[in-house]
Order: sequence, then structure tokens, then C-alpha cells
Amino acid sequence: MKYELVAGFETHIELGTDTKIFCSCSTEFGGEPNSHCCPVCIGLPGTLPKLNKKVVEYGIMAGLATNCEIANVSKMDRKNYCYPDLPKAYQISQLYMPLCNRGYVELSNGRKIRIHHIHIEEDAGKLIHNHGDTYVDYNRGGVPLIEIVSEPDIRSVEEAREYVEKLQQIMRYIGISDCRMQEGSMRCDVNISVRPEGSQELGTRTEIKNMNSITFITKAMEYEYERQVDLIENGGQVVQETLRYDDATNTTSSMRSKEDAHDYRYFRDPDLVTICVTDEEIQEIKNKLPELPQKKCRRYIEEFGVPENDAFLLTKYRNISEYFDKAIEGLKKPRTVSNFIIGQIFRILQTEEDKEAFDIKVTPGQLNELCKLLEAGKIQNNLAKSTLDKMLESGKPYSEYISEEDMAGLDEGFVDELCRQAIEANPKAVEQFKAGKEKAIMAVMGYVMKNSKGKANAQDVLAKIKAMIG
Amino acid sequence: MITREDVENIAILSKLFVPEDEMDSLTKSMQEIVSFADTINNADTEGIEFDNINNLSNVFREDTVKESLPSKDILKNAPEQAEDHFLVRNHA
Repeated sequence: MKYELVAGFETHIELGTDTKIFCSCSTEFGGEPNSHCCPVCIGLPGTLPKLNKKVVEYGIMAGLATNCEIANVSKMDRKNYCYPDLPKAYQISQLYMPLCNRGYVELSNGRKIRIHHIHIEEDAGKLIHNHGDTYVDYNRGGVPLIEIVSEPDIRSVEEAREYVEKLQQIMRYIGISDCRMQEGSMRCDVNISVRPEGSQELGTRTEIKNMNSITFITKAMEYEYERQVDLIENGGQVVQETLRYDDATNTTSSMRSKEDAHDYRYFRDPDLVTICVTDEEIQEIKNKLPELPQKKCRRYIEEFGVPENDAFLLTKYRNISEYFDKAIEGLKKPRTVSNFIIGQIFRILQTEEDKEAFDIKVTPGQLNELCKLLEAGKIQNNLAKSTLDKMLESGKPYSEYISEEDMAGLDEGFVDELCRQAIEANPKAVEQFKAGKEKAIMAVMGYVMKNSKGKANAQDVLAKIKAMIG
Repeated sequence: MITREDVENIAILSKLFVPEDEMDSLTKSMQEIVSFADTINNADTEGIEFDNINNLSNVFREDTVKESLPSKDILKNAPEQAEDHFLVRNHA
């Protein structure tokens, strides 16, 4: 029998605010242990948490960017559990009235992964386990998080990967988080079950906790899918439990079963007052949101005729698309710019990190000037390319490399003369062309291009040569 | 109604040890506390909108960093500490 994978995600994303969610301690990553702490975030008695306004704003932005309804009224709750990473023995979170509800993320195959809700909460401290003892650093305790809870709509490992990448891309675009999985600023819990293909019922699920790499997520899901199918095929049953993924052995192992599942005894946090947001305030935040990557990508394809794959690459990171948007101002053919970015510029930005940072010496304005020369026919493509290479190296404007003379254009008579010479110098190629070998003419054209120092227009030259031979 | 099992369960969740000879009196005390708190549930709230005692909403902070406490002060009340960390011993 064939089995279908069914998965839902709980994604924790650390918000890029300067201060923690309920106190004014810094959220900076790193720092000496317990150096970003105060009586509020280590939960001393008698302290009063006060909500960071920016956390609400960022939470709403995340909701709007994932098509959620924003709650006009939401509240904070206490989630009680006893563990050293929580100094208060409860985490301040949202259960009953979260900030955002009912959204979705659309995948490239057209399927919508529904989002049940997004809530805001505080992160826990960091535990370092050593020979059975636990060392606790509360710098991360109280750092603001959003948790994005999806419906069990994911049907394959590929969809899971795309869903996580999409969330990451969207949150980076709207600038609320750097979503660095290896630094823990984005972490996923995956709920996973299997069922016979065609079945509408959900199977018993397991939850794999706290994964901070897309590779681990996909490997853990593949392993867990196989494990559950094996169990069922051999007459066993999946037990609802919480699992941890071990990347060293590529296996999952049990953390706790349903029987000793947590009883969190949630209740409204009496220290924190209701959060009220008006429709006007929501609209104001909406107006400030940048164009989202998916929409931008479609626009590049439809308005500018950029090929789909190129549009995808241009919109993958916000820095690239912003550069592109600036560099195409006033140009008739924005594709020239996209070709330069994906060709010349990507060549010097080897890694994904480099592309994301998009830290290059040529300003969008400088590239724009170069493209304008090209559009005006003052220079040819080859010269533009080689000039851009030099500009990328030095950061100097095109005028350092292209002289007035280069831009002066060529005398028609001179081009005609060059074409005649080219035909004389390449009798063999001409013969082959006449015999039907189309490509042979390139040798003749190459002669003209070389002797015009790349200044001749290739299209024109080709037409002229053909006319002369014909 | 609070039962012995409730008290046992809450003790486990709170990582507390309750000696057997205290179970009955604790169950009784907890029942009394819950009953007292229940008073509030019996109040007539028909037609009254109530959110919190000060009738406040939207109490926010600006996102501006203020100095944290020195870590030696943060660790002052730690039962045990090591290398600027709170230390939780393994009692298993």
C-alpha cells in the first residue's frame, strides 16, 4: 500500500527588536552569559512585565504578510511548566486570543498551506548540559518570538522545505527577523503522521521538536515517515509522542509519550493588559509593508518579461530586488539589468550568504548609467559587460573605462569596409555558409567585431554580411 | 472538588515532594482555597464588561535598550553558580 505523509509545522521565529519582549534588556546574540538580564527577565518576585510595542507591530506584520486576520483584541497567557530554562516556571505566551488567525502561505505548486494562528511569546533561556549538570544562561530568556502554527496541510518533504524557505524569505523581506536557523533565530517543530493514500482521516501523529536546519527537517521527516510506515505495515501502531531528532545518527528518539504529556494549566496573565488594535492601525502597518517576494516575482515576469527562473533569483533576497528596482529606473528594457545581475554580478557572489548580503562596489545608479548607454546604442553589449567587470572590481563609474571616442559610434562606411575585408579574409567560411552551414558566418562576423574593437553592432553586421554574400 | 489525585498531580508538575502524612490536610486546604476563589465566579456580572481591575489596555514600552544588571548581581540569588551560569545539579 502507498502511504501519504501529512505534516504540520510550528515555527518559532525570533523577532529582530532591540529589546526583549517584557523588559529593556538587549536582545543581541552572543554576549557574556547572563549579561543581558534584569529582575524582570529572570523572574524575580515583585517585578512587572511591560510589553514591547514593536513586538505587537512585528507580529501584525508577520500576520499580514501571511494573509492572516489580525485580532482587534488579544491577550497574553501563562503556560506553566517547571524546567530550568524558565526562571518563572511559566512562559508568557498566547493561547486563547492570539494576535493573528487563519492565514496561509502559497507554494509554487499552487497549494495553500493554511496557518491556524500566529502568537507572540517570550523565548526561554539556553541550557548547556555537562556531565548531568545543567548550566543556564538567561540572555535569550525573554527575547521576543512569534510562533506560526500551520494546519496539517503539508504532503511531502519538498513542500515542507518550500514552506520553511518561504516563511524565512517573507520574514526577512518584511524585516522582522534575520531567520538564521543555525543561530537558532528560526526553529521548527514538525507534527507528522501517515495514512493510506486516498484516506481522509488523520493518522496518529508524532512531534519532532526543535530543529534548526532545513536539512535536518527534511532528513528527520524522511526517517519518521519510513518509521511510521514500517510500523503500520508490520501490524504495529504509531504512538503519539514527542521525539527528538539526532543528526549524528539520522534517527528520532522519544522524549516523552502522551501519558506524561505536559499539562500546561494555561491561564490569562494577570500582569499584562489586553492588547487592542484598531482597523486603522492595522491598515497603517499594511501600508508600510514592502512588496512581498511572490508578488514582486510575478510583476518582474509579467511587466518586464524577465524569465521565470531569473525573476525567482532576483526576488530571493530583498537586497537583490531592491538593487534591481533602483537600477532599472528610466530604462526601456529592465531585462538588461537582470541579465547583468544574474551574469556578471552573481559571478562574484559565489555563496548564498554573499548573494543575500549583495555587498558590491557598483551602485544601482552606476549600473543604471551603464545600461542607459547600452540602450542608447552608444556602446555594444560586449563592451558593457567587460566594463561592468572592471567597475565591480574597482567601484569606479563607467566613465573611467569608456571614452568619448568609444561612444562615438562607427562610421557606416567604415563598417561596410570592414565587412568587405572580412569576406575576403575568410573565403572558406563564406563557401561553407553558401553551402548551407549557417554557423560558418560567425567567423566572418567575428573578424568585423574584432577589428571594430567590439564597437560594431552585431545584428547590423550580420545583416550586412549576409546581404553582401547573398 | 479537589481530590488527592489532583494534589499528587500538581505536586509532580511543580516538581514538589509531598509526604504521605500531609496529603489529606493539603487536599483539604487546597479545596478551601479553590472554594474561596470561587466566590468570584458567583458574582453577578450580567451586562457588565470587565477586563481588569484598572480597566487598562495597551500598556506598552518603547523598544529602547536600557542597561542590564551586572551578571554578578543577576547570579546573586542563584543557589549554585559556575562560570557565570546558573548551575542546576543533577539530582537523579
